[in-house]
Amino acid sequence: MPAAPRAGPGTQALEPSPLPIVKPTSEGVRLPSRGCVCGWWRSLTAGRRLLPSLTRWFWTLSLSSNLASSAVNTDRHFSCEDCHGHIVLCQNNIRSEAHMSRVVTHELIHAFDHCRAHVHWFSNVRHLACSEVRAANLSGDCSLVNELFRLRFGLKQHHQTCVRDRAILSILAVRNISKEVAQKAVAEVFESCFNDLEPFGRIPHNKTYARYAHRDFQNRDRYYSNI
Amino acid sequence: MADGGGGWQPPRPCEAYRAEWKLCRSARHFLHHYYVHGERPSCEQWRRDLARCRDWEERRSAEAQRSLCESERARVQAAQKHALVWTPRQSPPADWHLPLPQEEKDE
Repeated sequence: MPAAPRAGPGTQALEPSPLPIVKPTSEGVRLPSRGCVCGWWRSLTAGRRLLPSLTRWFWTLSLSSNLASSAVNTDRHFSCEDCHGHIVLCQNNIRSEAHMSRVVTHELIHAFDHCRAHVHWFSNVRHLACSEVRAANLSGDCSLVNELFRLRFGLKQHHQTCVRDRAILSILAVRNISKEVAQKAVAEVFESCFNDLEPFGRIPHNKTYARYAHRDFQNRDRYYSNI
Repeated sequence: MADGGGGWQPPRPCEAYRAEWKLCRSARHFLHHYYVHGERPSCEQWRRDLARCRDWEERRSAEAQRSLCESERARVQAAQKHALVWTPRQSPPADWHLPLPQEEKDE
């Protein structure tokens, strides 16, 4: 599968388009079932090299010095594909099995939310914020060990700080909005979404918690018929 | 609450209550809970539920059954007390199980 387009430092969204633009993180992205901007993009880039009118625009994007001094080849440097509701993993940016597990869990939580609720990913930033809070909370992204590796030190209730911060970062990576708007959205939904622990019923800190969550899931019929 | 005379059983096996109580009291859980909530965990309810579960198994105590049901309903309500941000679906999206387009499968 072609590599998904990657956002990185200095990249920005393309010009405003009537179609939604999804910018993935360097680890992976959940692509909802909406068309990309491929038709518009192909008309602008006709052929293998960018039209001269776009070249100056890319210079202003603060790309790396190597990229800015080289021609940008659309076939090599860009991937534009239809989005059909599947999870894309950037395999060359995933460093270990544990990292992959965390990324897949993160994206699966988004898929779970898409499946169980009417989530307006592109028209309601609060919906996006809620799913990002849940994904950061439940995927292991904000474990104490991972935060220590990021040199972010804290213990008492630090998990919640991490969830807020990473949710905001995730929103900013996929939406062209200000940090203040993202912070406001996360603040508005945090209490509800942080405490929404579906489908686990608890935060799965490690395999023991995950095993107990699975046991509760298997036991759900007995549970709900006897309370 | 299901009718006690119609084959009611505790919502969880007694061993599950014991396992939850043990996990709750572990040092590792203390650390996780403090890291997430900023306070020490409270494990007393699991201990009570374990005692009631055993009581029901030994004596088929109606009081134990009532208390267990009450405790578990309180847990469910605590998990559902916050208003949802979005509207739940009745079924998955219509295109959820559709196959990928042929050109993607061929890659």
